[in-house]
Amino acid sequence: MQEFLTNPVVQGGIAPFVVAVIVVAILAKAKLAGLAVTVGFAIAVALVSGLGFTPLTATRKVVLLGLLAPLVGIVVDFALKKSRTLTAVIALCCGALTVWVFWSVLEQKAIGDALLLGGVAAVFVAWFVAATLQLAGQPVRAGGAALMLGLGAGISAILGASALLGLYGIAVGAGAGAFLLVQMLTGRKLVAGATLTLSASLAAGLVAAAALVLAQLPWYALIVLGLIPLAASLPVSDRLPIWAQAVIVSAYGFAVAVIAFVLTWWAPPPI
Amino acid sequence: MSKKLAACLVAAALPLSASAAPESYVIDPYHTIPYWETDHLGFTTMRGRFDKPTGKFTIDTAAKTGTLEIVIETKTLSTGDSERDARSRTRDEHLRTPDFFNVTEFPTMTYKATSVKFVGDNPDALEGDLTLLGVTKPVSLKLLRWRCGPDPRTQGKRYQCGGNATGTFKRSDFGMKFGIGPIGDEVTLWMSFYGFRQ
Repeated sequence: MQEFLTNPVVQGGIAPFVVAVIVVAILAKAKLAGLAVTVGFAIAVALVSGLGFTPLTATRKVVLLGLLAPLVGIVVDFALKKSRTLTAVIALCCGALTVWVFWSVLEQKAIGDALLLGGVAAVFVAWFVAATLQLAGQPVRAGGAALMLGLGAGISAILGASALLGLYGIAVGAGAGAFLLVQMLTGRKLVAGATLTLSASLAAGLVAAAALVLAQLPWYALIVLGLIPLAASLPVSDRLPIWAQAVIVSAYGFAVAVIAFVLTWWAPPPI
Repeated sequence: MSKKLAACLVAAALPLSASAAPESYVIDPYHTIPYWETDHLGFTTMRGRFDKPTGKFTIDTAAKTGTLEIVIETKTLSTGDSERDARSRTRDEHLRTPDFFNVTEFPTMTYKATSVKFVGDNPDALEGDLTLLGVTKPVSLKLLRWRCGPDPRTQGKRYQCGGNATGTFKRSDFGMKFGIGPIGDEVTLWMSFYGFRQ
């Protein structure tokens, strides 16, 4: 059993996915199926590195915010009126939190380098969150986008030298995959909301940003990953069955993610 | 009479005490190399090293005390795998990420010895604290070799001490938990070192 649980495929993929499917089945009626993403993420963190927060390193801050994100998502879904202003405020907060996450690294750099690195990471995460939140009312697109956000960030992180961050990202994708699969199998749309879109975009966005700051994800791959939410917004006929819509939306996102993979693979070593 | 004798003995001992005062040494970064090793997949032992550490130590053979402070730049880590070839990244690049040594966030690791145990006139073991990934835990080092004397490379103008030390710790105690199981938790540290007397 121990050997099974230390297998990276189980840690980042199978275990998060299986548990996320159960979560979707249990919480779908309560309109909280989007929690599957965070549960999948939490399972991977527990199996890969354990749920510890002392000392509060940048990676642990990523985990902390990834676990807290759905709480904000639930408040947004059930207590607040959705608006562009609200989306902008949430995105700006996420950008500011990104600076906090990587502060221990930024403060060691020269001011110009710190501004550039922190700025790129913060703008990327803010954009990732804002663009994905736009899909909150479209559960198939939201699920497809979240699937590819997680897989895109995760596989890019692995290619950028960090398997740990990679498994965290893939787990986000596994949770979103469970959310999408249940819709494909039942032919019924679930409620995504900010519970899913904020959780997936913040966790995956911070994983990708961490791969930039702490590992070797090139900045231009980050920009490409930022296009995934836009790809998930490309036209798909509503007349198609849900499973077909899900496949097409995911394929759009995958096509973009593959570009990020190729760019990361061929990125030159750091000087 | 006995008081006079005691006073004479104390007076006679004073110059000796002065000559046995703590001596300070600066670590030679070119001949001080910390190595580490851990189990890999249950098949073999993976070894790596860090380059050019800095630090200092003091030793007082009369009082049988000493201190050591050594600073290691984690980005100097090397396991001999630095060429990517057909892979996206090398093992050394992987070891520098948050999966293991997290060198961007924690560019140094330090060892500070707080006490030195002597056997006879020679130091035999160090008790101290290792700080790695922002976590400080006690780690003991056993001295396998220790010798002081004139440096033959300088025709005896420079005085040096050198030796080998080893100790073990669990990397999980420092929060380095990725891959435990396939990759060993217990890490053995080996260090060959030189110090030049100041």
